[in-house]
Amino acid sequence: MYRVLLAFLFFNFCFSQNYYIYVAAESDDTVSVLKFDGETIEETDRITVGIMPTENEGPHGITIDPSGKYWYLTLAHGSPYGSLVKYSTQNNEPLSKVELGLFPATMEISPKTGLIYAVNFNLHGLMRTSTVSVVDPEYMVEITKIKTGIMPHGSRISADGKSHYSVAMMSGELFEIDALELSVNRILSLDNNSKYRNAMHHSKIKPTWVSPHPNGKTLYIAGNGSNQIFVVDLESFSITDTLSTGEGPYNLAISPNGKFLLATLKSEGAVSIWSLKNNKFLKKIKNTTSVSHGVVVSPDNKYAFISLEGVGGEPGKVDVINLETLSLQGSVNVGKQAGGIAFWKIEQ
Amino acid sequence: MKSKLPYLLLLSFLFVITSAKSQEYYVKSNLENLEIEVGEVFEPSTYAVDQDGKPVSCPQIVYYNKNGALNSDDGISVSRRRGTIKGEEPGNHKVIALCLGLVDGWLGRDFDVKVSYAKAKDLSVKLDSDQVFVGSYVQPSYEITDNFGFTRYNANIKIKPSNDNIQVDALNNIKAVKSGKVTLTFSLDAVETSIDLNIVKNPINNLVLSSNMNTARTGDVITFRTMAYDDKNQLISDLPILYSYSGESFDKSNTAAAMIRDDGKFVAETAGNYLITATAGQRSTSIPVVIYDRGIQREVINVGTGLVQERHTSDFWVFEGVDKRDYAVSGTWGADGTTYFWDVTDPAQIRKIDSIQVDARTVNDVKVSEDGRISVISREGASSRRNGIVIIDTTNPYDVNIISEYTTNLTGGVHNVFIYQDHVFALSNGERFYVINIEDPKNPYEVGMFEIGEKGQAIHDVWIEDGIAYSSNWKHGVYIIDVGNGVAGGSPSNPVVMSNYSYESGAHHATFPFKSKSTGKFYTILGDEIFPQGIDLYSTNETAGFLHFVDFSDIDNPVEVARYELPGHGSHNYWIEDDVLYVAMYSGGVRIVDISGELMGDLFRQGREIGHINTGNPNGFIPNATMTWGAQLYKGHVFYSDHNGGIGSSKVLPIKPDNSRINEYLDRPRLID
Repeated sequence: MYRVLLAFLFFNFCFSQNYYIYVAAESDDTVSVLKFDGETIEETDRITVGIMPTENEGPHGITIDPSGKYWYLTLAHGSPYGSLVKYSTQNNEPLSKVELGLFPATMEISPKTGLIYAVNFNLHGLMRTSTVSVVDPEYMVEITKIKTGIMPHGSRISADGKSHYSVAMMSGELFEIDALELSVNRILSLDNNSKYRNAMHHSKIKPTWVSPHPNGKTLYIAGNGSNQIFVVDLESFSITDTLSTGEGPYNLAISPNGKFLLATLKSEGAVSIWSLKNNKFLKKIKNTTSVSHGVVVSPDNKYAFISLEGVGGEPGKVDVINLETLSLQGSVNVGKQAGGIAFWKIEQ
Repeated sequence: MKSKLPYLLLLSFLFVITSAKSQEYYVKSNLENLEIEVGEVFEPSTYAVDQDGKPVSCPQIVYYNKNGALNSDDGISVSRRRGTIKGEEPGNHKVIALCLGLVDGWLGRDFDVKVSYAKAKDLSVKLDSDQVFVGSYVQPSYEITDNFGFTRYNANIKIKPSNDNIQVDALNNIKAVKSGKVTLTFSLDAVETSIDLNIVKNPINNLVLSSNMNTARTGDVITFRTMAYDDKNQLISDLPILYSYSGESFDKSNTAAAMIRDDGKFVAETAGNYLITATAGQRSTSIPVVIYDRGIQREVINVGTGLVQERHTSDFWVFEGVDKRDYAVSGTWGADGTTYFWDVTDPAQIRKIDSIQVDARTVNDVKVSEDGRISVISREGASSRRNGIVIIDTTNPYDVNIISEYTTNLTGGVHNVFIYQDHVFALSNGERFYVINIEDPKNPYEVGMFEIGEKGQAIHDVWIEDGIAYSSNWKHGVYIIDVGNGVAGGSPSNPVVMSNYSYESGAHHATFPFKSKSTGKFYTILGDEIFPQGIDLYSTNETAGFLHFVDFSDIDNPVEVARYELPGHGSHNYWIEDDVLYVAMYSGGVRIVDISGELMGDLFRQGREIGHINTGNPNGFIPNATMTWGAQLYKGHVFYSDHNGGIGSSKVLPIKPDNSRINEYLDRPRLID
């Protein structure tokens, strides 16, 4: 028995995995580093971000360099433009900063070009056509701004890195950008309202997120206003299916193996999960506090990490969902209004 | 668990392969060692070479200027559509060439490109007069047109005089040294032009220097006048006079520091004996002045505190209630949307009497209507992301109630507000302000909007006095706007810009209008907000910046004349009454400054500070860390809010009468530091 116990401990010591996540707290101007050991999740570091202590600069989008050496953070507010800041994952110190547009939000790095594509959300500005900023992360220079729609929010890069997808909340459109040509390739009006192309018309669908499937054939769009998820076929660039959700689907994530689709339900404080084998709804899991925001899945497809904003003085939280048991595994407090969330690494 | 190992090994292998592949290629371009001229357009040719040196085409090439791809006037501009670069400003610049799509990941290289001015095509030289006095300097102005048609006004021009009546030094200063005629030849590249000059004897026989004071205090502005007469004792007008000073401080270890301007205005920073000299050509004359210490310091004592321990405090406002008692309201920052109400009738016994919590993380600004019945608070960080303002009934500050909230066009967060004659002026998303009618506070409605209409417009604060709004717009400076005064035809629904002034730092954060009682001059005092080292929410922070005093007496020609700069501490909010400034200098506490009389130069170094108080609290959110947010003189007490401590009151003691104990600690360590 003693030997068995010793072997178990030895096995755990040698082969236990730690998962590391970064999450931004928009109303605290902080970013937390989280460690999950398969059982419990804890905050290992909390980094103060921004320049002005008396102004809330609103860290929103966060992403990690494919090498894992750097993390990038969008700060929504400036004077008036927001910015993108590059940090080292080694010591979480800022390295460089570049000004972008109004309320820069979600972003990703293309594995093909190595460039960052960040949407300028302009959530609170006038209803004007906004842009996607393309940034060279080596020199931290904004190379160009590509015009898209009104209030572009969710954005993700295709698995091959050749296309960037974003959805504009108010003009209700999906934009496909050629990541090499740095120009818009195709546009899909989700409201089927082509005469309002790139015009403010209070989209009923109010798309807030887009996630391309790893197979490169389909993508999924969260219709925050219509409580639906739209399945878009990339060859015909048309909607082929819709999934009903709960109230206010906001962010989406697809597991790297392409099996699961997760949607945060911002208005319900919950996350819903579908199997993508047959687009079958699996389960809705209540979050530990209200106002669910972001979601990211670990590269081994085992866990999903959900950022939760909370209300007022409540701390933000990150919930861990076990994707094998479809159950809540753990939760940890972070800064207020937790939003942008990114997976860093698995460490043996 | 075992199944993970091959997966992770495979990932590592793929990463190594990918990295190695990226390193196999090297970017080459005819940008290497390129030299172009300002205005010249160049079409680069770029490709990659593999490890064997074999050229490989890039699927897509992107060029940009390292100093900023979207800034066309910064050295080099790039036309991505045409694939060309253009020289914009001379200097050494870097152009980045990216080779996209050849490998997975980033592949690119930077190239040094030198931009020079094109050769001059035409050189024009002008002088104010073709006659100059012996001993005077000649100051020509230049206009150069180059081969690309660009015009510039300065260059390294060679100047050659035809004889030794003129001397030209290494810095191109041209001095008339002998009477007679001379020809000056100016040349640049292959272009040359000449000007004839007549040098005459200086007609001045006598210079008379006078001033309006021969003794003064530090900070007092003395005006000197110089009259020049010829040998027939006739007055010579319009002569350029050069003023200078020398001096010796009474304090032997201190410098006799002062400032003197071309118009003969003089102000001293340190007490001592000064000699003022006026010079015209080879003539000069001097008169002495004696400067004494300003001697205005007074004791400032802490009277009472209203501690906020559990969260950061933001702005505050002290007001007289409907019941004629005295109250204050203060916001909180980065917390849970709480606003506190205080009874400050006895400034020594500040009591928290009520609070309100709204859906926000920060209540950055709070204001109260003149009649004390309505308070308006700003919201940032609402969970609904619909921030806006909240209107509160303060008829009974012991039991305040929310009347309404207003969010239309204000969802992006309201950083500051102002109430003026039943209208709220509320900042929106840091870009513009909206004017909201609150005659019926249950049903507020928008009547107007103001934005400066510039690219990158940003606003931080708005203050209203006599129907004139003072809008603080960071790099675009202060905008003075008629929003109801009528002098420019403006109204709340039709704001009309009257004037604008901006300055180099671009950190313009707040404005306070100031009509000097002692001089009648009208100034705007413009405050910076700068955090040079970034932030730490849980510790003390370094602050910088100062107050800019801009003379707006001629509203079309504002002139910056003075500054209040406290070394090591930056400015925030402030208040002025009876020619005294009460300024919250963040980590420097509340500073009370004499701004009477004419203002010129550095007011702090002139000893104009009456006193100060550090506002840190040992029981504060960050103990003892002074971070004064705002100051307000109210019924003889200096109230303040401190980011780390809450609110408080202090008192400036009277000037010390003989034999009294008042101000006895003035020269000793502060009681309340």
